[in-house]
Amino acid sequence: MPAATTKALTMMAIALPTMFAVIAVFMVATTALHKAFPAEVEEEED
Amino acid sequence: MEALLMQYPWLDELLMGFLGLSFKHVVMWGIGALLIFLAVKYDYEPALLLPIGFGAVLANIPHSSATSTHPGEEGFLIVLYQAGIANELFPVLIFVAIGAMCDFAPLIRRPSVMLFAAAAQFGIFATAVGATLLGFSFEHAASIGIIGAADGPTTIYVASRFAVELLGPLSVAAYCYMSLVPVIQPPVIKAVTTENERKIKMGFMGEEPVSQTTKFLFPIMIVLIAGIVAPISVALIGSLMFGNILKESGVVENLSNCAQNELANLVTLVLGITIGGTMTAERFLNFEVLLIMALGAVAFVFDTIGGVLFAKLLNMFSTTKINPMIGACGISAFPMSGRVIAKMALKEDPTNFIIQHAIGVNVAGQVASVVAGGLVLALIPALAK
Repeated sequence: MPAATTKALTMMAIALPTMFAVIAVFMVATTALHKAFPAEVEEEED
Repeated sequence: MEALLMQYPWLDELLMGFLGLSFKHVVMWGIGALLIFLAVKYDYEPALLLPIGFGAVLANIPHSSATSTHPGEEGFLIVLYQAGIANELFPVLIFVAIGAMCDFAPLIRRPSVMLFAAAAQFGIFATAVGATLLGFSFEHAASIGIIGAADGPTTIYVASRFAVELLGPLSVAAYCYMSLVPVIQPPVIKAVTTENERKIKMGFMGEEPVSQTTKFLFPIMIVLIAGIVAPISVALIGSLMFGNILKESGVVENLSNCAQNELANLVTLVLGITIGGTMTAERFLNFEVLLIMALGAVAFVFDTIGGVLFAKLLNMFSTTKINPMIGACGISAFPMSGRVIAKMALKEDPTNFIIQHAIGVNVAGQVASVVAGGLVLALIPALAK
């Protein structure tokens, strides 16, 4: 297997799980932010 | 002819355009004309393909002053290239404009949609592997893979760092395929889903409206998290979120409007013609470019498959079923991908309205593609050592 392919496979093996981990952190943080600052009734009506 | 030129040296000056003309230049005029035709006739990303096509024509006129590299007489396309592409300024400014246009509320309401966006980046990495098997270097293969982010500015940003010589074809591929989303995605989705899956309806249970404070704090939060994970991505995600905070702050409406209109238009204009200026016959007319165009399509196909299959995987473990088609919206082609999938759902069942979910995933695709771009930017130098 060419060295470049090994590097590309390594990139995939590192980047995809990291991507999901970062997205999971985004999800948790976004959920927490959304809960911490709920929309007020007037805002909702707006 | 040579004798004539020896006798009348001024003829050389007069005829240098004719004398320097080759078959390759004419082919490039044809390619430029094709891009202009696609923009004008079929409305394929006209704001970019038209300037790119015209730039390609300017760059392929022999001894063109627009692309002159003589010291002290640099052509305006070379000056623009040095001013905005070589230092990555134009893509970053485009991100400010995109950020100002984005509404992240659907994503904040349902953060789980970001998972589909992550899965839909699969095409980037699969294509990079495929490109290395076709003989591209690792840096070039990764830059080709990033076409799969379906994100023009990210493609330009990565290419200008690691594949300058491929910048023209990579940008053209990225923007062409973005405009071809309605052609590429539906058949791929149909191939990997059943009719019943495409008819799944989705509700809006437990989705609270989003407060203005949350919308305002969201970009800051994303920049901090993404910046700590991949500091090299700060320029991309930071500019995207800067544009968004201009909009969500509500106190600088004029700046937000400027980013959405004047800035977006001006930078798009110079970005397009500058990229076109890099499309010289010597760089563009070779087998590598054909491969890049083919790999670009592969990237979009793998993105679509990745997103849809991930949604199907979640359905295996969840009691609340998701329409797997929304997984395909995790690419950054916004809002085209979301609209295409919503239309597909309506075609299958005229009472199935999934546009809000599709747009939510599509907005998440904006963030995920930049994160993916940041990871690629961080990993290329690390792995290339």
